[in-house]
Amino acid sequence: MKSFVRDVISTEKNEKKLRKDKRMRACFFTAALLSSSAIAVIVIFISMKGITPFLQEGVDFFSFLFGTTWRKDQGIYGVGFIIVNTLVSSFGALLLSFPLSVLTALFITKIAPKKLSAMMTTVIELLASIPSVVYGVFASGTITLLVSTLAAQFGLVTAGGSSLLAVILLLAIMIFPTITSLSITAIRAVDKDVELGSLALGATRTQTNFKVVLTSAKSGIFAGAILGLGRAFGEATAVAMVAGNKMFGPTFNLFDTTRTLTTTMLSGLKETTGLDYDIRFSAGLVLMAVILLSNLILNLVKKKVGNMK
Amino acid sequence: MMQVNAAVKKKRKIKDACLNAITYLSSGLGAFILIAIFVFIFSKGFSSLGFDLLKGNYWSNNYLVSVEESYNQAGNYQAPADLNEGAAFSSKWGIAFVDAQDQNKDNVILIEYVDEASPFARLLDDSIKDKQVTLSAESGFQVERISYQDENGITYTAGNIMSQNAKELCEALDQADVIEQAYFKTPGGGIRGSILSTLYLILVSLLIALPLGIAAAIYLHEYAKQNKVTALIRSAIDMLTGVPSIIFGLMGVTVLFPVTQLFGATTTNILLGAFTMAVILLPTIIRSTEEALIVVPKSMRDASLSLGANQSQTIFKVVLPCAIPGILTGVMLSIGRVIGESAALIYTMGTYVNDAPHLLSQGTSLAVHIYNIMSSEQPNFELASAISIVILIFVLILNITVKLLSKKLNKAWY
Repeated sequence: MKSFVRDVISTEKNEKKLRKDKRMRACFFTAALLSSSAIAVIVIFISMKGITPFLQEGVDFFSFLFGTTWRKDQGIYGVGFIIVNTLVSSFGALLLSFPLSVLTALFITKIAPKKLSAMMTTVIELLASIPSVVYGVFASGTITLLVSTLAAQFGLVTAGGSSLLAVILLLAIMIFPTITSLSITAIRAVDKDVELGSLALGATRTQTNFKVVLTSAKSGIFAGAILGLGRAFGEATAVAMVAGNKMFGPTFNLFDTTRTLTTTMLSGLKETTGLDYDIRFSAGLVLMAVILLSNLILNLVKKKVGNMK
Repeated sequence: MMQVNAAVKKKRKIKDACLNAITYLSSGLGAFILIAIFVFIFSKGFSSLGFDLLKGNYWSNNYLVSVEESYNQAGNYQAPADLNEGAAFSSKWGIAFVDAQDQNKDNVILIEYVDEASPFARLLDDSIKDKQVTLSAESGFQVERISYQDENGITYTAGNIMSQNAKELCEALDQADVIEQAYFKTPGGGIRGSILSTLYLILVSLLIALPLGIAAAIYLHEYAKQNKVTALIRSAIDMLTGVPSIIFGLMGVTVLFPVTQLFGATTTNILLGAFTMAVILLPTIIRSTEEALIVVPKSMRDASLSLGANQSQTIFKVVLPCAIPGILTGVMLSIGRVIGESAALIYTMGTYVNDAPHLLSQGTSLAVHIYNIMSSEQPNFELASAISIVILIFVLILNITVKLLSKKLNKAWY
């Protein structure tokens, strides 16, 4: 922060005061440094712990990364199908939630009457503040029921409703407030002149909203989608309640049980040592890599999309 | 020409109306989901909610008891005047029972009242072999089984396992001459332990994260120059917000567990959970503090400095007091985060529900307690929903407070 006074304080007359100041500054700096080093500590320690199974306990790295079975009773750990499952469920949720979120954001910012808009904002805030376990309880009480009745319509049997479809629906609900609130911010930031220009050219209000406002806000909306996807990847407890933890895969059938990286890390936390425990860190490492890679790729796409005018 | 124009206009109008209708529909869907969640949780859990749930233990205690030899005889007792109408009183034994339902909606018999001179007030614990442990039946105990002998010395069994109700049990006891043995249970399924652990968690994690976060925010906003190091620190803190909580859990057990071992921890524990939560809370607190600092006008800092105060005095006596509403917002958001967090805590605190938690023991926060219930073979939806209601009420109160606080922040006097 720039100060007009600090630069002209006499350093000779106020030596003692300034020395004390320097000490305080060092304290504050240490706090900032500590806070920012947390991310480095996380990456370094989980990486170290995550690669020990490959170095010390003889797990083959390639069969781990591309394997299609995860049976801890037989000591077979293959994370490949779990990665695919995680991607399928998260992108499925995004596909479902994204249009709804954007339309809701547009409704709140441009279309709704003032009172309705304030009410919907509260709804979104409340949805965002509900903890994930509560979503989990809700999902295993209602969504699983919905899925199993739906499956019965097709003459299929599900494992009590625990299925890929249930995971997708749950995640879609959970990322809905995230994407919506970021889209709202993006739409609010659209230049008023662009809108007025479109209206002056004879477009109706609705045409302006859908063709001009949304196009100008697409970069921010895309950022919201990326954030929502990150949340979908990392969601653990709620998904664990409806996933069903299949031991092999990958799962593409909507009514079949599935297994994601996070549910794998959560399942059966009995031991605190040994390979079965260490391999969770490897799964965590894979999860971080998946999030990082998908963020990188999507950000590249976002740049491309943002540049097309 | 005019006619064509009208037709185009009509078509456009219909199209616009359709597009608008979709936005109404999609936001209606959002509202519907919220209502569905609330209706589901409240309808499932409301009947289980009550003071017994909040202050009761989760695990039930079992008492296998017999009456002390010298007192094991019938007497003649008076029912107290304020005894409940529905209670059945045995004047022979000085004890009253009521019918009730437990957490699983099964019928149970509860002790409503025990006379001070009653044989049931002088019991010996049979489950402990060598020692003589005396205890008294208390109101609220569940009567599973009472076996007694009648005048002819024949043993009978009465109580819940004979699927009797309170009145039948009372009538059976009136036949009794000597009480042989009784099996009492305290009702379980309460969440007092989890509430306590959650409070510990909130307190300790804020105690660590608050000073650290505020100091970091002060450095970033008041001292830091616009250079590469500052940008690096900022982006590192921002990156923390994108890390999924389960990864924080992994970090907790590897990096922070040795720290709690210094305090004497042997298993995963509440202190470890609090340390981990402190790291999770840091970005929230830093951001909300910084937002509050931005609002404080620069002229106030300059005025303080020109009056001869040094930078740290200015910060502590002028800037921070003005930023208190913003910091409080951060605190509220943090408390909400701690209450709702589950994945990180499952790793760092374990999933064992502890009725008497302390900092170095395992325990569950309310959210983890729900996870524990839901991951069992036959999940008890009623209990899970009841705890969810408790969490939701907490979160709602916090949200409202944040809204009021931010209004106050906007109305600051400067």
